[in-house]
Amino acid sequence: MVKNIRRASQALFALLFLWLFLQTEAKGANELGYPVKIFLDADPLLFLTTLFANRSLPPALWPALAVVAATAVLGRAFCGWVCPLGTFHDLAGLLKTRARRKALPPGLFRLKYYLLIALLASSLFTLQAAGIFDPLSLLIRSLAISVYPMLSTATAGVFGSAYESGLPLLDGISEAIYALLKKTVLPFQESLYLGAGLVGGLFFLVLALNLVERRFWCRYLCPLGALLGLIGRRAVVRRSVSEGCNECGACEAGCHGDALPGSKELWRIEECHLCGNCQDACQNDAVRFSLAPGRPPGRLDLGRRRLVASFSAGLLGVPLLRATPLSRTGAADPALIRPPGATPEPEFLRRCVKCGECMKVCITGGLQPTFLQAGLEGIWSPVLVPRIGYCEHRCTLCGQVCPTGAIRNLPLVEKMEVRIGTAMIDKGRCLPFASATPCIVCEEVCPTPKKAIWLEDVRVKNRDGREIPVRQPHVDLSLCIGCGICEARCPVLGRPAIYVSSVGETRSKDNRLLL
Amino acid sequence: MDRRDFLKTSLAAGVALSLPAGLDPFLQNLGAAEAADLAVASGKSPAAVTRAAIDALGGMKKFVSRGDIVVVKPNIGWDRTPEFAATTNPEVVAALVRLSLEAGAKRVKILDYPVNDARRCYRQSGILDAATAAGAEVVYPDSRKFRDMKIGGGTIKSWPMYTEVVEADRIINVPIAKTHGTSTLTLGMKNWMGVMGGWRGRIHQRIHESLVDVSLFLKPSLVVLDAVRILTDNGPQGGDLADVKRLDTVIAGADQVAVDAYGATLFGIKGADIGFIRLGHEAGLGTMDLARLRMKKVQA
Repeated sequence: MVKNIRRASQALFALLFLWLFLQTEAKGANELGYPVKIFLDADPLLFLTTLFANRSLPPALWPALAVVAATAVLGRAFCGWVCPLGTFHDLAGLLKTRARRKALPPGLFRLKYYLLIALLASSLFTLQAAGIFDPLSLLIRSLAISVYPMLSTATAGVFGSAYESGLPLLDGISEAIYALLKKTVLPFQESLYLGAGLVGGLFFLVLALNLVERRFWCRYLCPLGALLGLIGRRAVVRRSVSEGCNECGACEAGCHGDALPGSKELWRIEECHLCGNCQDACQNDAVRFSLAPGRPPGRLDLGRRRLVASFSAGLLGVPLLRATPLSRTGAADPALIRPPGATPEPEFLRRCVKCGECMKVCITGGLQPTFLQAGLEGIWSPVLVPRIGYCEHRCTLCGQVCPTGAIRNLPLVEKMEVRIGTAMIDKGRCLPFASATPCIVCEEVCPTPKKAIWLEDVRVKNRDGREIPVRQPHVDLSLCIGCGICEARCPVLGRPAIYVSSVGETRSKDNRLLL
Repeated sequence: MDRRDFLKTSLAAGVALSLPAGLDPFLQNLGAAEAADLAVASGKSPAAVTRAAIDALGGMKKFVSRGDIVVVKPNIGWDRTPEFAATTNPEVVAALVRLSLEAGAKRVKILDYPVNDARRCYRQSGILDAATAAGAEVVYPDSRKFRDMKIGGGTIKSWPMYTEVVEADRIINVPIAKTHGTSTLTLGMKNWMGVMGGWRGRIHQRIHESLVDVSLFLKPSLVVLDAVRILTDNGPQGGDLADVKRLDTVIAGADQVAVDAYGATLFGIKGADIGFIRLGHEAGLGTMDLARLRMKKVQA
């Protein structure tokens, strides 16, 4: 009974999650209109690490507290009933044959607690690494950067071929289906992301672990599960076994959380996802889930030495990842153009949980995941790559979806004045300078009300000595906001004649250009 | 043409030649009986002004036949709201959609290939809502529908063009009048860049010749130049309301060069001084000699 309600709940939340994911897309209006980041807002692990690392409350408070409160009462029901990654695991686990379970070390379930301690410890010392391992962040990031582009590219390819074929009947039917898909599940334009192969590969690896054991991730690795398990140790909802139990062991095989180590009385409350499979499997109807407050939980022995080791590992991680010259002014990668509204870099790295929401919603697809350009600490954080996509002047979507305030949600008027960098012209490549040829596409596309690119009417000599009138572009360094549309549209392919670097960005006191 | 008409037209032409454009009350409603080559309509309501301009040309039935698939091609190039005069006035577009449907068009499509994101441009310009309400199919550009086509021009030999525009029965070009850093002005002929794919920024290198080549290829039935608001500086994108001038005028005609030549006068510039207008005239695309045209000015 519990199992069926649980499955319905999983379906509901999974559909809600996917629907919100699809709504994380520009539609042309200024506001998104839907609370697309609600799952991340409700994530207590990200809440804690952001709170610790920044010593201030994250922007979204109530959703996370609600989940903590629910867990304290119900136990780890989130894992079994809500978590969309858990649902993905269950679906992937269907591929696993019902062979005997491989003999994994019985204490492996403790691994996730050590990971949790390490993540919390490092966040106390301002390292925000939780986003890499948090299941919601991992799921959204993987879907946004890799899986969704993969599926949409493949689909577009299939329908593109049908369209190209020109066969009259096939053409008409396929276009009708394609139009329907475009209105519902396909993106308006395919965004493609650098390093998608790695992100997707890791995601499929995580899902593939279900072939070793069902819900491998949830049992042994998930730090959010570990946190919820600890919070839920005194939950009011309890599992009880009646006298009808004949210790046949049928309940063990289906257990999502590895909560039943084989003994009739022992039930690891912090491992139980309340999936209800044991109740469903029991032939003697001996299993009950009911409210039974007050009973003390069983021992959770994590080992003192191991706890200290995890904590120390977390601490050590901080200087280990930070000992790089990238944090020094002028030494940072000039291509590290952060989204408009981004906090200064040290704070940005403390807040960014690498969830991929900003990259998913970016209207031009210009926000790309870094790999090592921001150091290992900044892996998969967003940077603007103008040649792939510029920053649309009147768009504020990235700030609207960032769950931790790494990208602040600026009002439009303020965003339009933020500088994320400065464009400069390479006179050796720019056509009016280098080869007496008119161009000035850059000036045309520059969006600032008083144009940040001004034109000088000049007469230059061409090869034959003839004087050609050209208009030569110059960047007004005090007006340029670094949006990158000039670089994106410059017809000098390969290496554009005008390009943006982060110098002059508003958010940084040190990365200044002009006096 | 009978003697009375000849006298009337000569008088009108003489007056038009001697007065600065836009200050000729003598021409108002002169020759209201017969259709004109070029219509200039002014008034408070953009929709009414558009209708008046088309009526002065002889009605939309002259340009759209029953059962036609019509593409109305506005300027939806930029992420700007209508008061910034970077995109075509949505009420003008909607009026043309309605007129086309009234004339018996089977389908009226709106499309453009903008510079900024298409979703923002279509919505912020007001054209998505206005055209949809008027009964048009608003189409977003689909990258699969650009095909290399033989333009056959002196500068542009071939270029990827949007098939849905080229394959339409009728094309109505509805640009907005603005200044432009490269071509001095952007009027009707420049609006065709919204049908071009690929790295169209390249045509800036020989902008005037390129525009004439593309205009010779596309053959619109009708050009309706939106001058309800014009952009007088920092065009074609603008962004400063101080650069916008309200003229409450719409210019319409079948001659691409003539419409652009008249449009130039709104900025105090002679058509002959604009490269693409002069070259278009020389290539036989149309005439920039406004005096030789039957021009009608109406108040709506």
